[in-house]
Amino acid sequence: MIIKLIFISEMQTITNNKYKVQSTRDLTDSTYVVRMNRYGMQFKAGQNLNLGLAGDTEKRDYSIYSGVHDDYLEILVKEVDEGMVSKKLKRLNTGDQLEVDGPFGFFTIKEEDIETKNFLFIASGTGLAPFHSIMRSHPELKYKVIHGIRYSSEAYEKSHYMDGKYVSCVSKDSKGDFNGRVTDYVKQYPVNKDTLIYLCGNVNMIYDVFDILKEQGVPSENLHAEVYF
Amino acid sequence: MKYHILTLGCQMNMSDTERTKPVIEKMGYTWTDNEEEANLVGILACSVRQKAIDKVYSRIHKWNKLKNKKNLITFVTGCILPSDKDKFLKLFDIVFPMSELQELPEMISQYGIVTPVSLQSQNNSDTVFQNPRLQELKEKVASLKLNEHMSDFWHINPNYESDFEAFVPIQNGCDKFCTFCAVPYTRGREVSRPSTEIIEEVKLLVDGNYKSITLLGQNVNSYGLDKKGEEISFPELLRSIGEFGNSSGKEFWVYFTSPHPRDMTDEVIEVISQYDCLAKQIHLPIQSGDDKLLIKMNRKHSVEKYRHIVNTIRTLIPQATLFTDIIVGFTSETDEQFENTRKVMKEFNYNMAYIAQYSQRPGAVSSRWVDDVPVQTKKERFHTLTEDLKASSHSHNKDMVGKTFRVLVRGKERKGEFLSGLTEGRINVRIHASDETLIGQIVDVKISAAAEFSVAGDLVKIENLQEA
Repeated sequence: MIIKLIFISEMQTITNNKYKVQSTRDLTDSTYVVRMNRYGMQFKAGQNLNLGLAGDTEKRDYSIYSGVHDDYLEILVKEVDEGMVSKKLKRLNTGDQLEVDGPFGFFTIKEEDIETKNFLFIASGTGLAPFHSIMRSHPELKYKVIHGIRYSSEAYEKSHYMDGKYVSCVSKDSKGDFNGRVTDYVKQYPVNKDTLIYLCGNVNMIYDVFDILKEQGVPSENLHAEVYF
Repeated sequence: MKYHILTLGCQMNMSDTERTKPVIEKMGYTWTDNEEEANLVGILACSVRQKAIDKVYSRIHKWNKLKNKKNLITFVTGCILPSDKDKFLKLFDIVFPMSELQELPEMISQYGIVTPVSLQSQNNSDTVFQNPRLQELKEKVASLKLNEHMSDFWHINPNYESDFEAFVPIQNGCDKFCTFCAVPYTRGREVSRPSTEIIEEVKLLVDGNYKSITLLGQNVNSYGLDKKGEEISFPELLRSIGEFGNSSGKEFWVYFTSPHPRDMTDEVIEVISQYDCLAKQIHLPIQSGDDKLLIKMNRKHSVEKYRHIVNTIRTLIPQATLFTDIIVGFTSETDEQFENTRKVMKEFNYNMAYIAQYSQRPGAVSSRWVDDVPVQTKKERFHTLTEDLKASSHSHNKDMVGKTFRVLVRGKERKGEFLSGLTEGRINVRIHASDETLIGQIVDVKISAAAEFSVAGDLVKIENLQEA
């Protein structure tokens, strides 16, 4: 893991939605975390930000990766080949400014469910981000994360999750916690109907898992989805 | 000096036009229906469909040709995608977000006698703006965030198009990001108008004997959420209006559009049920009856959630009419998914549905996907669903026969001598009467016949009612 450019501005004020970059942190060759000043932004774990480089008209939505108790904001970014924003974010330096709107979104958990319910978080790729935020924000939560990735090296910061709470489902090497896709995992380990299930990531994964869960009798009110388009 | 505005798109743009006109007229311009005799021409643009965007380009090219013959100032505002804004800046003299409407007079006055700016090449046109103040304004307005000065816009007193029906904007922008829609990119994020202003405008309208008032917003029932506790909620706003209605002693109907099912709480429905002036008509877009397609549309609600809302409406307001919006042929929609939409159409038994064949909307997320449902399939689904709608609508309308309804008389039929109007539930009524002095009044009509999308009836004279 490469850590670069760590510098926290003394000045914690914000003008015109400009947020100062503190650092970036590479997780793989193409996936990285951008940390920026928080300036007291209030958000719920699971929400997202709309951001781009200051002065640039191109903006994209990114789920917040950090927790509500962290004194910084983080997003998890995968560089996209034709990406208009992700490539620029990859080149960020400490002190660069981002234009940030938000928080937005409704992919959050209810306060009243935190102590009483079991949660199953199913993600593909960087769809892990909102669950990382939820997990950091609510350490007492009864949860399990099922993370669909191609290679085991994409198990982004799995050490952040408590033992046994994170399961990587790896489709292209055999070093995962589970060898196969998340759909195979969900078929092999049927879900308790009372569990609240949150799906985030690629639409095809969400569709496939949705069908399996419906077949297993999970009521639609227990299913929540956030598609990364 | 005369001006003309071309308004494209939805009720929101119509409402915005009502606020644009007085700003221009205050400068001494007078309205003309004939754009060719205008000295100032503008467009309130719509980016919902490519056709609407094409109309903007077609019109500005025509207007720029007119500049060979006369002095003409052109402007464009409304729903503009970021990608179009840069092009418009080269074609129009003035481009501004609606929230900056108050700046329009200054921008126009800076022009003085206009040269045919946009006929020149791009490089030349850049040098035409020799007035530094104008250039400064253009740059300022072009770089503004979409909703930055929305409150200034709402302070403008509108020129209502009608003497008895009015739109009252209560919110602008959208945070929902449905994948088929570009509104968050053209109108910006949700901004709520202060409730005190809304209630004041409603009071003024009622004092002026307006009978039908529609609260407008892209996501009208998420009203107040952007203020994070510093503004009342949507049901509280409705309650305030309802209380005023009770104390006013006047008969009027307040509608709202468009709501999102995600924010349609039981409380909203309870409040509507409690006050006479809150119209018993609910427009609740469902878009699809298939849970997976709803996920792909990023609608943030399931059919089950929608079912709960409809059940609450049926329980608390059994007389309410229910309208919806549906898209057929959305990207990847299968026959099975379409059949699920037919099922909900039957289950929810709508009075009216606005059914659209999916077409890619520039700037929306789904415009990046292959529009893979053949046109013929879309047409067939549209036809099938329209037939389903006709059945449910006709059935509702037949139930009205023999009963008397309050009807707002809106005008004369396009063809024929009879008057036409709308019930509180917004059902079209053909009134067998021709007395034009009734236009703008709410009268009793006894329904005698029902068609698929309308009913017909006779005016109930007051003395008849007294006898009854």
